[in-house]
Amino acid sequence: MRRIFFILLTMIIFGCKDQKATNPTTDLLTLEWSEILTRANGSEVTFMMWQGSPDLNKYINEYIKPHLKEKHGITLNIVGGQGPEIVQLLMGEKQANVSDGQVDMVWINGETFFQLKAIDGLWGPFLDKIPNSKLIDLSNKFISTDFQQPIGGMEVPWSITQFALVHDSIETPTPPSTLPELAAYVKQNQGYFTISNDFSGMTLLKSFLAELSGSPHGLDGTFDEIKYSDLSEKLWAWINQHKKYFWKNGETFPSENTKLNQMYANGEIKISYGFGEGGIDDKINQGLIPKSTKVYPWKNGTIKNSNYLGIVSNSGNKAGAMVAINYFLSPDAQFRKADVSGVNANTVLSYDLLTADDKVKFDQIPKRLYGPSIEELKGHAIQEPDPRYMIKLYEDFRKYVIEK
Amino acid sequence: MKILESMLSKNSENKISLGLFFVLAILPVAAAFSYAVLYSFGVVGIANEGFTFRFWKEVLSTGEFIQSFGYSAAISAVSMVISISLALYLTIIFHKDFENKILSFIAYLPLSLPGVVAAFFGVQVLSKSGFFSRLSYKIGWTEDLSGFPDLINDQYAIGIIITFVSVVAPFFLLLFLNIYENEKVDELHKLANSLGADRRQSIWKVEIPILLHKSKKLISLYLIFLMGAYEIPLILGREAPQMLSVLIVRDLKQYDLTKISEGYVIAVIYSIVIGMITYFIFSRQKQVYA
Repeated sequence: MRRIFFILLTMIIFGCKDQKATNPTTDLLTLEWSEILTRANGSEVTFMMWQGSPDLNKYINEYIKPHLKEKHGITLNIVGGQGPEIVQLLMGEKQANVSDGQVDMVWINGETFFQLKAIDGLWGPFLDKIPNSKLIDLSNKFISTDFQQPIGGMEVPWSITQFALVHDSIETPTPPSTLPELAAYVKQNQGYFTISNDFSGMTLLKSFLAELSGSPHGLDGTFDEIKYSDLSEKLWAWINQHKKYFWKNGETFPSENTKLNQMYANGEIKISYGFGEGGIDDKINQGLIPKSTKVYPWKNGTIKNSNYLGIVSNSGNKAGAMVAINYFLSPDAQFRKADVSGVNANTVLSYDLLTADDKVKFDQIPKRLYGPSIEELKGHAIQEPDPRYMIKLYEDFRKYVIEK
Repeated sequence: MKILESMLSKNSENKISLGLFFVLAILPVAAAFSYAVLYSFGVVGIANEGFTFRFWKEVLSTGEFIQSFGYSAAISAVSMVISISLALYLTIIFHKDFENKILSFIAYLPLSLPGVVAAFFGVQVLSKSGFFSRLSYKIGWTEDLSGFPDLINDQYAIGIIITFVSVVAPFFLLLFLNIYENEKVDELHKLANSLGADRRQSIWKVEIPILLHKSKKLISLYLIFLMGAYEIPLILGREAPQMLSVLIVRDLKQYDLTKISEGYVIAVIYSIVIGMITYFIFSRQKQVYA
């Protein structure tokens, strides 16, 4: 019994001790890059990311990790988690005054950026210290502005993507691309359309909201409560009027986009949607959806945005995280990430800023076989609105549609 | 002298055991509950601004908790009644057959499934594109996917109940078979028959009462456990109403950081209600045995 007590006491004492060696970070932003590289060498960096894509996991595990180790001596550890998990973790750690948190860098998008800024969860600005950020065209508003918020050097773009809708060109040769067309479509094809109660579904609702505003730019600018109330009232009225023609008579809605994709693959619904310009190539290649599947934009526009990498404020290895992020942005890593048979992500690097050799390399990237390129959709791209539109849409979609 | 030393040593071991139990079991739960209470009143939480009743008022005014509690209780009760009835039937009628190792292995296999795996099995078997839907299409009962009834994410929580039954019934089957053997129910059944009871009477008046009486505490605790289930209702349930754990996690992970405390309010109310029910169950049993 005494032995057990002794072991327990030892565990508690060592459990309370910081596990990772910490680096002083106050002067990091004034250091030369070579000095940052020296500090990062031999360290461990923990990266919290969404692990729902097998292709992305493979890219990180089989390409990024070994190259980062070989080039910079950094061991990259991956932990699963996205938006809410990242915010919850940091809120808990900040509450407990943990100075050397569990994670060093995170993969985020606009609303998580908004939340992390609200709790001072991000460290920076560090974008200017990242050498490869010179290859990014920061005058591109789809890159330098995240959900209407200037990134301010607090996060570094990793990929750029556009939301798009998906249909089977044989079953649905003329898919709806406006709300009146969608109303007619759901009446004729009852039970084959729905809105997922997640990030993708809310992004679709933003397109609907922008259409109701009468312009692709109707939601630009900071959050406008009056405008939101007016437009959302029309949106809920439209959905409630037509939801009886939705999947399961609109009595319930799928909780997430992966479920929506499965339902499209099974033929339970006939119109799907998502980021990654619809993300159909990998699913067609895997034989999950028919080759007749096509991607199309909403007439008034669909959201185009970037996703980003950030360093958390209580990271114990900010130097390591900076070096890792610089490698994520390198032309080699971005080229590999653009592989259409792999992650199939659009690079955030500006073609004009690449070296001649890298331009040749990027020119050789094969085109997608089935989905459109982001260039083809750019005429229908609209900017992400202020994150508060998303937050309100989540809340009100539940209140005025799901629970009604 | 040696007896006294032995008693003292035993006494100190008991104290250490109690201390360990307190540190490992009571303290973390008490600390987590206290944290949840403070969070629910806005006292802690970096997005909160100090003590307020706002979150409690909001939760109590919407009625979502009451609805979710009733929904969870109803689903759990229906699942338990079906599971226990099935397990009783199998125990009483087929108890000898379960001495066969292969049969007992098949019957107990679902016990080894984690909730999330059982839920995915539920999707594979019960959904419109699942096994039964395909079977019904093959034999011509349905013409297409839409002809197959909604068994998951459905209005009556059929998918949740079927999946709950598939994991709960084997547990009670195992329990009842053990009680049946340990309490020599088979012999009591024969005794009842020799005293003039027919088969129906010996089942309803002897076997079932013994099996239920010996397991009533566990039945009550399992009912509470089912009410707090997460993965199965998350995957097979609807977006509204939601079972309690799904509702709590949804509120804790919501994008509006200023409303996270509402999740803690629901967790606190749920803990208090369940704590009171558990206390009632155990205190009542003590009185019975006293």
